[in-house]
Amino acid sequence: MLLSRRDYLKAQAAAAAAAAAGVSLPASATNLLTGEGAKLNWSKAPCRFCGTGCSVMVGVKDGAVVATHGDVKSEVNRGLNCVKGYFLSKIMYGEDRLTTPLLRMTNGTFDKEGEFTPITWDQAFDIMAEKWKEALKKKGPTSVGMFGSGQWTIYEGYAASKFMKAGLRSNNLDPNARHCMASAVMGFMRTFGMDEPMGCYDDMENADAFVLWGSNMAEMHPILWTRITDRRLSHPGCKVAVLSTFEHRSFDLADIGMVFTPGSDLAILNYIANHIIQSGKVDKEFVAKHCTFKRGRDDIGYGLRPEHPLEKKAKNADKATESDPISFEEFAAFVAPYTLDKAHELSGVPKNRLEALAALYADPTVKVMSLWTMGFNQHVRGVWANNLVYNIHLLTGKISQPGNGPFSLTGQPSACGTAREVGTFSHRLPADMVVTNPEHRRHAEEIWKLPPGTIPEKPGFHAVLQDRMLKDGKLNAYWVQCTNNMQTAPNTAKETFPGYRNPENFIVVSDPYPTVTALAADLILPTAMWVEKEGGYGNAERRTQLWRQLVNAPGGARSDLWQIVEFSKRFKVEEVWPDELLAKKPELRGKTLYEVLYRNGQVDRFPLSDCAPDYENFEAKQFGFYLQKGLFEEYATFGRGHGHDLADFDRYHSERGLRWPVVNGQETKWRYREGTDPYVKPGEGVRFYGNKDGRANIFALPYEPPAEAPDAEYPFWLSTGRVIEHWHSGSMTLRVPELRKAVPNAVVFMHPDDAKNLNVRRGQEVRVTSRRGEVRVRVETRGRNKPPRGLVFVPFFDHTVLINKVTLDATDPISKQTDFKKCAVKITPVSA
Amino acid sequence: MAIKTAICSMIAACWRVFARPSVHYSLGFLTLGGFIAGVLFWGGFNTALEATNTEAFCISCHEMRDNPYEELKQTIHFTNRSGVRASCPDCHVPHQWTDKIARKMQASKEVWGKIFRTIDTREKFLDKRRELAGHEWDRLKANNSLECRNCHSAESMDITKQTPRAAKLHETFLFTGEKTCIDCHKGIAHRLPDMTGVEPGWTASAIK
Amino acid sequence: MKRILFAALVLAAAVPALVTGVVAADGQPGPRVSSGPHPITLDVPAEVTNREIVDDVKRVRNYADQPPLIPHAIRDYQIDLNINKCLTCHDRRNTEGSQAPMVSVTHFQDRDGQTLGTVSPRRYFCTQCHVPQTDAKPIVGNRFRDFDAVLGAGPAKEGAK
Repeated sequence: MLLSRRDYLKAQAAAAAAAAAGVSLPASATNLLTGEGAKLNWSKAPCRFCGTGCSVMVGVKDGAVVATHGDVKSEVNRGLNCVKGYFLSKIMYGEDRLTTPLLRMTNGTFDKEGEFTPITWDQAFDIMAEKWKEALKKKGPTSVGMFGSGQWTIYEGYAASKFMKAGLRSNNLDPNARHCMASAVMGFMRTFGMDEPMGCYDDMENADAFVLWGSNMAEMHPILWTRITDRRLSHPGCKVAVLSTFEHRSFDLADIGMVFTPGSDLAILNYIANHIIQSGKVDKEFVAKHCTFKRGRDDIGYGLRPEHPLEKKAKNADKATESDPISFEEFAAFVAPYTLDKAHELSGVPKNRLEALAALYADPTVKVMSLWTMGFNQHVRGVWANNLVYNIHLLTGKISQPGNGPFSLTGQPSACGTAREVGTFSHRLPADMVVTNPEHRRHAEEIWKLPPGTIPEKPGFHAVLQDRMLKDGKLNAYWVQCTNNMQTAPNTAKETFPGYRNPENFIVVSDPYPTVTALAADLILPTAMWVEKEGGYGNAERRTQLWRQLVNAPGGARSDLWQIVEFSKRFKVEEVWPDELLAKKPELRGKTLYEVLYRNGQVDRFPLSDCAPDYENFEAKQFGFYLQKGLFEEYATFGRGHGHDLADFDRYHSERGLRWPVVNGQETKWRYREGTDPYVKPGEGVRFYGNKDGRANIFALPYEPPAEAPDAEYPFWLSTGRVIEHWHSGSMTLRVPELRKAVPNAVVFMHPDDAKNLNVRRGQEVRVTSRRGEVRVRVETRGRNKPPRGLVFVPFFDHTVLINKVTLDATDPISKQTDFKKCAVKITPVSA
Repeated sequence: MAIKTAICSMIAACWRVFARPSVHYSLGFLTLGGFIAGVLFWGGFNTALEATNTEAFCISCHEMRDNPYEELKQTIHFTNRSGVRASCPDCHVPHQWTDKIARKMQASKEVWGKIFRTIDTREKFLDKRRELAGHEWDRLKANNSLECRNCHSAESMDITKQTPRAAKLHETFLFTGEKTCIDCHKGIAHRLPDMTGVEPGWTASAIK
Repeated sequence: MKRILFAALVLAAAVPALVTGVVAADGQPGPRVSSGPHPITLDVPAEVTNREIVDDVKRVRNYADQPPLIPHAIRDYQIDLNINKCLTCHDRRNTEGSQAPMVSVTHFQDRDGQTLGTVSPRRYFCTQCHVPQTDAKPIVGNRFRDFDAVLGAGPAKEGAK
């Protein structure tokens, strides 16, 4: 009797819980539905979130996504997702989805201080065209710009690149991947002359040891962490070393856990190189055959505004990328001062642990995989950190073999596929080419069938510089797509927001939801997201994955791709190109940029009938040809035969992705090594063919301190980052009730002793204040992150805790990537 | 430290008095005096003993401060709603005098360890952790989790204030006397060692 | 009495939906977007800390493959090289004593889909997929409808046009 009453109460509580979660329980749960009605249409798509590139199966019923799960056929995740991935079904259904363009207006006309008012797409493009043309006329192509994303599809990045660099002739195109991957890119380019990892995720099933450099894979790359956990727990003798500036969930699997002083990773890296040399563990044959030694410039500044005292003081701020050849002996002498004592002194890591770490690398029988993401990349010496970890793998020859290799993880789902491979950076073109190289420009112009001289040679404004130029009134017409930079850029209140609200500027933000970036805009464009459009992403292991449109976007929401291509119709080529350029190709006269860039006989060569019959394709129907396939195939011509070979478009729709270069239908797992890389000829063994001499560069680079460090007034280090439950700025995941309820708000993680000294306690509200700005946030002294004394950590997903008001806009001077991990703050109780 | 020194000099002074035969004082006075001296000695001894029973004494060794104490700060026995918290001796020092002395004699081994640096790194602590935790589990098992029960009385539990899951398990195992606290509640104030082979209380019972 | 309380609970749960319903129905397509002072310019107080939900009541899953949410406290639960606290109740061998749900059979499969005798090491870190909940209010409603709701409603309004 008692039991049945308890069961009854439980059922009631479940119904109440279901109602609160927005899920309705079926009225007759005992009726089993059978036959066609019970079936879902399942299709594959890569996960919308991180750079791991899991494949998910998406279940659609009557035009709505009703279920998602990990794809068992995917090599990457074999049926698993992380908690975010399992809730993908709900990211598109937030009640505040934008469905119509919104322009700030007063009395029916645009007013920078007006109210957001619904308008039609035609009206939206009218005002945009007017503002863009006005800026171009007044100040030329450097006054227009675009900020894109490593979450753009490949097609969107490629279309944007053509539109900006060829159409509007402005290199002011940069992706948010600048905040995320730029140091990794420059690290690859400097050491190997070619971007992206040589190895792949299969290394995780083959390594004997894993070293995490500043990465918290347990939360940020959870599915890769399952692969490492699998290996660690089932392969006898397998070791995991974790280095970070604070203790986090990845330490739970660590045999060697190391908390180091921010910035001292450089010293530890040089110590390991020194240890390898001193202990005679250099693979001399490998080094002699495949490596070159170089001395880089030191004292290169911190990427701040040029008038900043630190920049004025820096000796080589303008020569940061230069280097001179040196000998092995000179290199050995350079790293010799990085002794165990010195590494310990700078890092604070106990000597026995540093020795244990160095021993993993030095032992020729231990296959080591090094992994890193934002700890290295968001670092004022991020490129150096990348170079220095390659040094270690090159000195020991532990590279490009199953289980042996340095692996640069990516943050965003298509940081590799779109930002890097397509080349949406302000200095890049597709397939690792750069705008500063005349041959590269000419090659791109040829493929794009454009007159020579179309693409400007000067690199455009990178992410942080775009914000500065907006503020300074030099960049005036600006379009942000697929990113929430008002929340994620550094020093936002001082350096980002003023530019958006500068009366000289017109700011357009495309987003599915009203983010804080959208709220700072003049015009908001509603965007179709994820499987509401056909798309393609490239993950961290060079795997390209394509997906179909599975559902329609709500109301008037349109994909970024449609927006770019449609907007290109608003420009006649005469309006944006000078006469002397047009004179080289007079047949283009009178045409629109749409006709020049997309209706160019290449992009439009696949008819609508090529589209998959069982799927919608909004963009193809709108433009009358298979736009995505045309863009992909034109783009693929850049890389084919040049080490970036992609397979045919259609093949990707039947595969769970393929790792480029795909040569003769075969993907490549380990590059640069004979037998696994078709570009290495028989007899060559290893060839780093990204560099003309076929050798990789080992760089002599010193330890240098961060741009800002704690002092008496601002006594704490501030590090920022993510949590597993939320993706980046939370605009998608905070709209999933279960994820919001799991981690509702950002907190400031701090050591209990620091809390005690500040006379604050768990749950108390404090101000975290830097020289730039402050936020109010609650104290957390326990849980997943355990900072050492003197360091605090604040996640950036929470739009009510805009922690980037506090961060410093210092960047790596080579990569121009922001250091979000190191600045100085003070903490004060709010009640005080 | 000051207390230790004071106690030592007091003991020395007393001994000098006791070592000489009485010349000037009556037997009655001596008996009374002896009683007072005994009270003083006893008081002093207990004061000294109590001084070693404070958390401040425990964490004056950095091995204790950096390992078990640092871990304690994260747990509910340190941070909780009402701020009532357990200090080291609440759990690790028996309140009964005889048990206390026995525990103190055992603890002298830890002082030996301190002097000869048996545990001077985190790694050494982690290596010894299973053994050290095992001692405490055995002790609490043997005394029916006495130090837990000094605060957590089964008699005073209102199981309507517990989650249904906890209430059920307490009804099954605790109130019946089938299990004692430590059987199920290991690792409630510090991180657990390698638990290979240690079955949780409810399972050990089910599969016995 | 309990029934009245229950009715009140359901009503309270329905309130956010009503509020957003008003926004969507005021004649403008889509949500109203604030044109007021930008949040970056404001001194935004930290939201109150939400309470954990520890009622031990299972929540309905949105679809079969959704990992169940954790309905109990997991404070100080250790999942590391020494021990997995979750498995001390949810492992196959421990469920009789604990009366906790056994981890799903999928968790016994290795990368190649082979069922092992014990939980697969790739599933070791439970909180990568399973999370507890707090009583935080959703920042906005979510229009996701599960399979049964979609079936009951007929063809979706915003579906294939």
